[in-house]
Amino acid sequence: MAENNHFIERSLMAVLVLFKESIFSEDCASRKGFLQARDPRVKALMIFVLLLAALFSRSIPFIAGIYGFCLVLALVSSIDILFFWERTLFFIPFFSLFIAAPALFNIFTPGEPLASFHLFGMAVSITKQGAASAGIFFLRVLTSVSLCVLLALTTRHSVLLKVLRVFKVPQIFVMIMGMCYRYIYLFMEIIQDTYTAIKSRCGNISSSARGRKIVAGNIANLWRRSYDMHNQVYSAMISRGYSGEPKVMDEFRAGLKDWLCLGVTLSVFILSLWQNQYLN
Amino acid sequence: MAKSIFELNEVYFSYLNKIPALNGVNLSIEEGSRSAVIGANGTGKSTLLAMLDALVFPRRGSFRAFDKEMSENILNNDEFCRFFRGRVGFVFQNPDTQLFCPTVKEDIIFGPLQLGVAHNEVVRRLEGVAATLKIGHLLDRSPHQLSIGEKKKVAIGSVLAIEPEVLLLDEPTAGLDPQTTRDIIDILIAQNKAGRTIITATHDLHIVDEISDVVYVFGFEKKIVKTAPSSEVLADQNFLQEHNLIHIHRHQHKNLVHLHSH
Ligand SMILES: Nc1ncnc2c1ncn2[C@@H]1O[C@H](COP(=O)(O)OP(=O)(O)OP(=O)(O)O)[C@@H](O)[C@H]1O
Ligand SMILES: [Mg+2]
Repeated sequence: MAENNHFIERSLMAVLVLFKESIFSEDCASRKGFLQARDPRVKALMIFVLLLAALFSRSIPFIAGIYGFCLVLALVSSIDILFFWERTLFFIPFFSLFIAAPALFNIFTPGEPLASFHLFGMAVSITKQGAASAGIFFLRVLTSVSLCVLLALTTRHSVLLKVLRVFKVPQIFVMIMGMCYRYIYLFMEIIQDTYTAIKSRCGNISSSARGRKIVAGNIANLWRRSYDMHNQVYSAMISRGYSGEPKVMDEFRAGLKDWLCLGVTLSVFILSLWQNQYLN
Repeated sequence: MAKSIFELNEVYFSYLNKIPALNGVNLSIEEGSRSAVIGANGTGKSTLLAMLDALVFPRRGSFRAFDKEMSENILNNDEFCRFFRGRVGFVFQNPDTQLFCPTVKEDIIFGPLQLGVAHNEVVRRLEGVAATLKIGHLLDRSPHQLSIGEKKKVAIGSVLAIEPEVLLLDEPTAGLDPQTTRDIIDILIAQNKAGRTIITATHDLHIVDEISDVVYVFGFEKKIVKTAPSSEVLADQNFLQEHNLIHIHRHQHKNLVHLHSH
């Protein structure tokens, strides 16, 4: 039992550390690579256009092509492809498969049967149309997630926030997002520290009632701390002349290569529209 | 006589109207002077600095700054607010709350930008501050991922970039290594030589002598119990001990035990 507890504790801490590292590491973003060198505004626009193309297209090979393009971009941006798949393949597309799975069957998507079998005494079949729409759905999610992860991996989050501002997202909103991001980090630190502190003072938390008490006290404490911190941060902003509308400095510069990239992605987008017309 | 910048007269302040933090404080700070505020934990040093930075206001008594009676109202006036914020800079005790931007660089330029300093001038100040504090290599990092000492330096940098006439520093050297402490003190001395007023709250008696001419000692009753030249305060061992500012050290040399204060 004690062993077991230990194991859970250890893995929870490991998850925390992993989470911290995966969200907050700017390791990929600071490498030298193709996407890292692009102007962030153009890069965000490129990804956005590719996303639209993947959403509009109704052809599996075409979306697969965009996905392939995304992988190539990851490769030339010195992102390890296995690492990239680890980030994108597992979770989100997996869930989308769950959502898409019912569409496979004739109950939801009537059409030509591909395969028939009995389930709980009911005759069901996978239809051709069902398979196609589930496949497209899955591919779209996979491609969209990959594109977004690619953008997030190759751009420092501070720059990403600035890009939001360029696209006229209200400043105050961007500022709050930035602070949230920072707080999540700070709170993870606090949780980790508190945990270590409790451990060092009480040794192992043996009785679960006592453990619950400590945890409950800590949550209240965390809540109070976040409130205090908010007040103090606000004071610190006021102290340095903040008066409601934060001012920032933009220093983006787009070059010829950036515009070329944008051109390429725009033509992909136009191609997707044209090809839809053609298919109909 | 030099112009006085801050005047506090019988000032009372309490948090949430129940936790007293200042109990009748009198104080007068002259332009270009160097002062230190010392006292045990929880005696109101940080609260005093927050008041001098017009972040909290007296519940009773009067607080005048730059010949104006200070109140929340007067700071709602944009022009005066900008005037005041551009002249008084405050380095908070806790750098975690002071640094709130995504990168060190943005934190340093935050103040000047808010105060409407021209962009090329902002860049000049950024470079100047980075060079003075030797934090050039940290500019693109996230402030929250720095060590405490590095954070402290960045926090000081973010205030120096405003180029204020008055520097309020809350424990600027707490947790810093000896060389960094030295660097910070030298910076403060240089700032003062350039005509700036510095007011430092500290527990570090070793630095008091160098960064102040006048020392204000806060007592447990949360008011100033002594105002005197720094050399005089530092020489009075009994007084310092009474206010938790030094402690008796017990050494054992071979079989001999001897006591002395630190
Ligand atoms: N945000 C707050 N809310 C409520 N009470 C506070 C708050 N900040 C400080 N106090 C109280 O006000 C009093 C003075 O606190 P202050 O922070 O000014 O002390 P200090 O001299 O700076 O102490 P230290 O040396 O520990 O920094 C203390 O009794 C403290 O408990
Ligand atoms: Mg304090």
